[in-house]
Amino acid sequence: MIGTFFALVAKELIGFFRSWGLVAIVLYSFTLDIYITGAGIEMQAKNIAVGYVDETGGGMSGKILSRLHMPEFQKPVMFTSREALSRSIYNREIMVGLIFESDFEKKLKRYGRTSIEMLLDSIAATQSFQALQYLQNILLDYADIGIPVELKIHKLFNPNATTSQFMAMAEMLSVITLLGVILTAVVFVREKENGTWDIMLLMPIDPKLIILAKSFSQVLVIMGGVVIATGIVLFGVFDVPLNGSIAAFFLLSFFYAFTSAGIGLFVAAVSKSMLQVAQLSILIMMPLIFLSGAWTPIHAMHPLLQKLSLISPLRYYIEGSESIFFRGTDFADLWSYFGGVIVLGSVLYFYGFRKIGRLF
Amino acid sequence: MAELEIRGVTVKHGGITAVKDASIYAERGEIIGLIGADGAGKSSLMHAAAGVIRFDGEVSFGGTSFGSPREAERLKPKIGLMPQGIGLVLYKNLTVSEHLSFFSKIRGLKEDAALNDYKHRLLKMAGLERFTERPAGKLSGGMMQKLSLICTLIHRPSLLILDEPTTGVDPLSRLELWKILEEIRESEGTVTLMSTAYMQEAEKMDRVYLFDSGTIIASGTAEELNETVKGYVYEPVACRSDRCIAAGHYTYSLDPLKTPHKEPTLEALFFINALKRGVEIPEIVVSERESEEPIPQVVMEAKGLTKRFGDFVADDHIDMDLKSGEILGLLGANGAGKTTFIKMLLGLYPIDDGELVLLGKPIRSAEDRLGLKARIGYVSQHFSLYKDMTVRENLLYFASMHGIDAKKASSRIDRYAKELGFTSYMDSLPTELPLGINQRFSVAAALLHEPVVLFLDEPTSGVDAIARSQFWQMLKLLKRKWGIAILITTHYMSEAEYCDRVVLLKEGRKVADDSVENLYKKHPAAKSFEEIFLHYYEDGR
Repeated sequence: MIGTFFALVAKELIGFFRSWGLVAIVLYSFTLDIYITGAGIEMQAKNIAVGYVDETGGGMSGKILSRLHMPEFQKPVMFTSREALSRSIYNREIMVGLIFESDFEKKLKRYGRTSIEMLLDSIAATQSFQALQYLQNILLDYADIGIPVELKIHKLFNPNATTSQFMAMAEMLSVITLLGVILTAVVFVREKENGTWDIMLLMPIDPKLIILAKSFSQVLVIMGGVVIATGIVLFGVFDVPLNGSIAAFFLLSFFYAFTSAGIGLFVAAVSKSMLQVAQLSILIMMPLIFLSGAWTPIHAMHPLLQKLSLISPLRYYIEGSESIFFRGTDFADLWSYFGGVIVLGSVLYFYGFRKIGRLF
Repeated sequence: MAELEIRGVTVKHGGITAVKDASIYAERGEIIGLIGADGAGKSSLMHAAAGVIRFDGEVSFGGTSFGSPREAERLKPKIGLMPQGIGLVLYKNLTVSEHLSFFSKIRGLKEDAALNDYKHRLLKMAGLERFTERPAGKLSGGMMQKLSLICTLIHRPSLLILDEPTTGVDPLSRLELWKILEEIRESEGTVTLMSTAYMQEAEKMDRVYLFDSGTIIASGTAEELNETVKGYVYEPVACRSDRCIAAGHYTYSLDPLKTPHKEPTLEALFFINALKRGVEIPEIVVSERESEEPIPQVVMEAKGLTKRFGDFVADDHIDMDLKSGEILGLLGANGAGKTTFIKMLLGLYPIDDGELVLLGKPIRSAEDRLGLKARIGYVSQHFSLYKDMTVRENLLYFASMHGIDAKKASSRIDRYAKELGFTSYMDSLPTELPLGINQRFSVAAALLHEPVVLFLDEPTSGVDAIARSQFWQMLKLLKRKWGIAILITTHYMSEAEYCDRVVLLKEGRKVADDSVENLYKKHPAAKSFEEIFLHYYEDGR
């Protein structure tokens, strides 16, 4: 029984390591793909092109403009007319435009208050509004509003407030989800495509053992990928802090890998070809990832979606991993995340198991 | 200069040479045949002649020559190519008449009275005029091939290239396909280049070219070719040396034997060629089975087995029994219901109607089969084994699935490899094996647990003549030494000769079930099994 189980697992692992295309995809997903997501998705305002029209002839406007510098802003470009500036924004050469009207300084001196006109290309909404915030902060320094409160800010868990660490971790968890589904589905569908499915059915072995061994083999592959990605990409490249227990993270990942294997079993049961596996996996994965909070904070979602996100196992996995890496939550206090992953995982795995079991 | 001349054509796929320096010619109105096993290079050469793949060498047709697909472009309106595979060029939701108008439109033909007349003529030749409104997906395999052929003929090509148009088609439809070809060459003077898996068809051809691993080993009319090997072919007699081989109903020997000579068939050329080239042909040996488990007298009894797919009846109330020590051939064209029947026996398809008793046990549910799996061996169509594991790994895997302990398994595997002649391929992947080796290795995988019954689904399709004769030799030895029952399906009617008893299926119904001798007795006029079965097909019409 145990011997048969390991023979089945070994066969799948041989099959996996000999299909170099699959190995390449898995290695890519667990390294470069995570790196690109972490390094490439930039939400912070950086290197923003600024243009201005100054009708005042310098002075105050010059002082303000001198505060716009790297890394947030490029050196402001001067335009002679409001039309030229608008055109430039339209042509995507400039993202933020400032217009100092001729009475800008006069008003300031006479009434103690004045206004600057500002044009924003808000297609890249996050970036342009962050730019707006920077500008407001600069202006605040000049405007003595006389409120005797100063904010003292402590940035917790992620002191530099860099998004790349969180993005890389979230991407790794999404990769685990996607590959867990696809790899598991592939080991079954490959047998369907190669015509070995019938041979497999005719083995004098309990189908449950076959299903279990096949999905277990792919959980092993995923766990290998998790170790590589955590060690090389998260810790090595992005310096993700580890405030909790790494063992807890691997254990949570192990349970989660079975969860996505469960979805994979379902996909395998209803697909006849690799193409269908790819299509279905993406179709199922997208809502799962959207609802998990990987890309949008859950508290910012529509209330209905917030409720729905409770049934995305990825949500518990992400929150749990976040707690382990950044917050350093105690193992005992991780129970809600473990609970979420295990309960949803058991349901999904059992459902997938039943579904594919019916084909035997 | 001949109408079609193929001069020194070499085709390479990746690093592998599929065809080496092949030259073929054909005069106006000739039908030229290419014969050989799968992978011998026939398809590659035909694709080169049709100008659809790159090749070295030259092809000229009607005075225009080309050396690349681009240069072939101006000849394309004159060429008609029908690729291998039943119904491959058809769209299953389009009707017969929609097909004809679709193909005439993509060929840019003028829709006039002449085209209409020609269409009617084609439909009449193909016997499809009553089925013009039927979707192609609902036609039988034979009708699909006839439709494919007339679609290929719609633009009146003067060079017709057909890749195994008759493989897997029932004997009657095959005759009808031939009638179309004969008529077209009479009226249009078309040059036809076709490959075939049936040696009998070679006799109707103006010239045949025999292919063996990428090279043309002989050419001429069937008669001329037979003449060249006549002196080497004898009545069956045991012999074993580098210069002599006994295969089925013949013995081939380079040295004179005392046994009387026998009229050769084209297959003899492959054997003589192999003997002359000194190709090593391993002798097949089978030793006794290790297990002492008794084999039941009646292995399988089926009564009224029926399988339906929607409103299509794949198997219609079929009765069949299988006894130990018997090779039962399940014959029929593609789509006759052979594979479906085997899959019902194995439990891969649920049985819609009828009763089945397997190894003495009535089968009513999947649970009834559990204990039986360990006593059944099965080789599926196209020898499906794991492509990413070596031969040895595959066999070890199957052994461990059957719970055979590792030591016993590896000694048994080595023994099979030696006896069935694939020792030197143990560490190759199945995709690297010649088809004949792959075939015997697949059977070895199905025999590891020493089953009492063996089900083989189309194991001989596309395998070369020598490997095929070794395969039948192996089955015969298994029957004798092991005493097990063997059920084998095939669409080669001629292979009925090797069976003890044959069952013929036609469109899901059983039309014949008798021993080989009885069938010959009932049809004394018939020269071959092909002709005997033709009777059953004609009767049913």
